[in-house]
Formats: sequence, C-alpha cells, structure tokens
Amino acid sequence: MFRNQYDTDVTVWSPEGRLLQVEYAMESVKQGSACVGLRSDTTCVLGALKRSVSELSSHQKKLLEIDDHIACGIAGLTADARSLAKYMQTECLNHKYVYGTPIPPHQLMADLADKHQRTTQIYVRRPFGVGLLISSVDSRGVPHLYQTCPSGNLYEFYASAIGARSQSARTYLEKHYETFATCSTDQLIVHALQALAGCVSGDDELTVDNGSIAIVGKDQSFTLIEGDALKPYIDQLEQKADNDDEEGEEEKESEAMET
Amino acid sequence: MGTLMASTEESSVVATTSLPIEHRFSPYDFNGGTVAAVSGPDYVVVAADTRLSSGYEIKSRNVTKLHALTDKCILASAGCKTDVDQLRSVLDIRGKMYQYNHRKPMNTPSVAQMLSVTLYGKRFFPYYAFNVLAGIDAQGVGAVYSYDAIGSFERTQYSAAGSGQAYVIPFLDNVIGNRNRLEEKPILTATEVVELLKDAFLSAGERDIYTGDQVEIMVVTRDGIQTQTFALKAD
Repeated sequence: MFRNQYDTDVTVWSPEGRLLQVEYAMESVKQGSACVGLRSDTTCVLGALKRSVSELSSHQKKLLEIDDHIACGIAGLTADARSLAKYMQTECLNHKYVYGTPIPPHQLMADLADKHQRTTQIYVRRPFGVGLLISSVDSRGVPHLYQTCPSGNLYEFYASAIGARSQSARTYLEKHYETFATCSTDQLIVHALQALAGCVSGDDELTVDNGSIAIVGKDQSFTLIEGDALKPYIDQLEQKADNDDEEGEEEKESEAMET
Repeated sequence: MGTLMASTEESSVVATTSLPIEHRFSPYDFNGGTVAAVSGPDYVVVAADTRLSSGYEIKSRNVTKLHALTDKCILASAGCKTDVDQLRSVLDIRGKMYQYNHRKPMNTPSVAQMLSVTLYGKRFFPYYAFNVLAGIDAQGVGAVYSYDAIGSFERTQYSAAGSGQAYVIPFLDNVIGNRNRLEEKPILTATEVVELLKDAFLSAGERDIYTGDQVEIMVVTRDGIQTQTFALKAD
C-alpha cells in the first residue's frame, strides 16, 4: 500500500513493518535461473540450469566449489554471488590454515548469514541480490543443505529449489523427498535433474550443455559433473512435454527411477 | 680486556668485562638434512633424507622434507622446519586460490615463479628454507628449479640443497652432468637415476652428521607420483 514512499532506502521501515528494499532484493533471486539441492544420509547434490544470453554466448556457471566439503549454487545477481563465494573460499582456507581442520559448515553459514544481515542495516550499502544453495558435509559425514537469501535469513533443508520456475521443482521434491535418505548418489543426481527439467522455459529441454551437477559427500570431495559426463543421467530422464501434464510425468518418473 | 676478581669470603670467581654483551633471541634454528632432484626427458626424481635435528640432537628420524604442491610438482625443502611448514601452508593456500579462479591446478613453471615471489615477499625477514622444486612442466618434460632463501631461482637439470649439498652436487656434476668425463653423456632412465641418488645420499650420510636415517624418493611422471624409501645409517 505504501510501497512507493518507503522503498528508497534499505534503512526505512514501511508502515506495515517491512523492509521493502530487502523484499525487492528477494525478487532478484526469482529472476535467476533455477537451482535445486537435495540430500541423502551420506551425500548432498546440487543441480543448476545454466542460462545462456544468446546462442553465441557460453552458459553461465552456477555451481561453485567453496572447499572440498562445501559446494554452492547461485540464483540471482551472479556478480554478487561470486563475491560471496570468494568470501566463503577465503574463510574456508583461513580456518584450515589456523585450525588444521575443515571449517564446520554451520559456522560458515552463520558468518554468511550475518554478512547478509549487515547490508540490511547500513545506509550506504544494499542487500546482496542473490540466493545461495549450499551443500556441505560436516566432520561426522552428515550432509547439510542450506539456503541463504538477501534478508540474511538462513534455512536448512532436506531439499530445496530457488530461481525462476522453481515451484515446479519444489513440488517434485516435496513429493519425493522422503525417499531421498537412502538413495544412492546416482539416484540423487537423476532426482535433481528431474526436478530441474520442470524449470526450463517454453520449448527448451534440459541438455548436457545447460545442466550441471555438483556433489559433496561423506567420502566424496567436491565433484562437478558437466557436459558429456552428464549424458548418462540425462538419458534417464523423461523430459517435460509442452503441456503441464504433471500427473503423466509422475508415472513416467517412477519408471525412470527403477534403475 | 677483563679483570679476574677473587672474592674474599665466598670462594666464587667472577669474570667481568667492561664491554657490553648483547644477548639476542635467534628466530632461526637449523634443522638439517639434504634434498636433491634430477630431471629427465619425461620424469623427475626428488629425494630427501628424513632426519630432523637441532644442534647435536636428533629430534626425529622420520619427518618428510617433500611436499606435493600439485600432482605434478613437489617442493623439497631443508633449513628451519617451522619456516618450511609455514612456506608450504602459504603456497598451498595460494595454489588453491589459483585453482578456484582458473579452474585448473597450476603448472610447474607457474609454481616456480610463485615460490620465488613468495620468498622475496619476506626479503627482510626471510624464510629459512633452502628449496628445490621438481616437477613435470607444461610440455611433459622433467623440470628442476633451485632457489636461495630470498627467491633467486634458476631452472637446472639437477640440484641439491641443505646440509649435505656439498657432498651431493659434485657427485651429480660428474654422473648426471658428465663433468670431467670422457665418455658421451648417457641418457638415464628414472630407475637408473633413483639408484644414483641412493648412492649420493649414502655418501652424504657418511660425512654429514645431519643427514641419515632414511631417504624418501619420489618419481614424478605424467601419470603421477610414486614414492619409495631407502634406509641409511642411523648414526
């Protein structure tokens, strides 16, 4: 109702008790192409749909290595994301240098959330326009999936999706997440790609060029699967038809899952 | 220069001097040991003893002087162990940052340059580390780089550093560099070089008190790094 009068600075409250600048920043996340994350008892998988500006351009890299045991998927302002990724990489290296052990993911996440929050309370800065999905494994081999958003809120998920058309992915993940705990890594990858397949726009398909997968796990250091290495997993998918036939999709998926 | 004063009751004798004596903490300790490396057309062999000493004491018979910075490049360092450890940590971090930004590990000539600038960065409080860098270069050929403590470096066919350097280098000059020999310079295989380095370390271990216990030998080829150990005298 009062949006126009109270939305110029991040340090101004609206009469409804909202920080409109922060909310606008969250809109930026929804503009980015989709990114999904899910985990089993031993492994955490991230999937991303890489957007390319034109046929002549490359596909934007969306999954970044933070450390051997931490990966990061981005949606929103890529430049902001890279700045945050560099910060996380430096924190990880510094922790290992000082304490001789990989940084506990929850500690890195707490610092990251605080870094986001700071920008919402200082006049001269703006919130980060990016949402991050961070997959990690702790020192006991338990995987964790975290999500950050421009407001500084930190969430932990069994499975999540962010970015454009991610609701389709979230619906898929909600339907299947109870089976993830005992899935093998390959099965998780196919689930991630199947969730992503619902987020492509229009007539496009998920292919080896625009899909990418990152894995961290109990006995598995960061691994990126892109390009031709993705083909065996893409071949197991049932790609979406032009119409939103989700029911039909469900049945085809359960056939594809029996590998 | 000084006067010797005898005290009257207590039978203590005190030596004094009129000049001041400066007592100074030395930030460096010399922990001894020898490292050596020899390169070939498609391999490089690095060797280092595993003894850690301080003064006339042996602190450990089994501490490595070799550190793989990439899967094709090994840093061998003798000198002050804590400086060597710190240098390795710093190089590991810089190597990791390079890898994040370039999406591939550093090649050996780049590591060589980075080591040089890292050492020069502490030009006025140097790392007490005498380094030999050994690896496979971008063309797949073996490469050895020798350094001083402040970063001056040169690519050579072979090199040695540390307390036993003076025993190893002349031997390598003759056998690898073919100096003072009439025969044609042979092309050696990695296995032959390993045997030569074992001989070199046996000799160094005889004469140098800081070299002994074991030699750790790594052979680097395009396919990776293979390690073996060879026993020396423990005296």
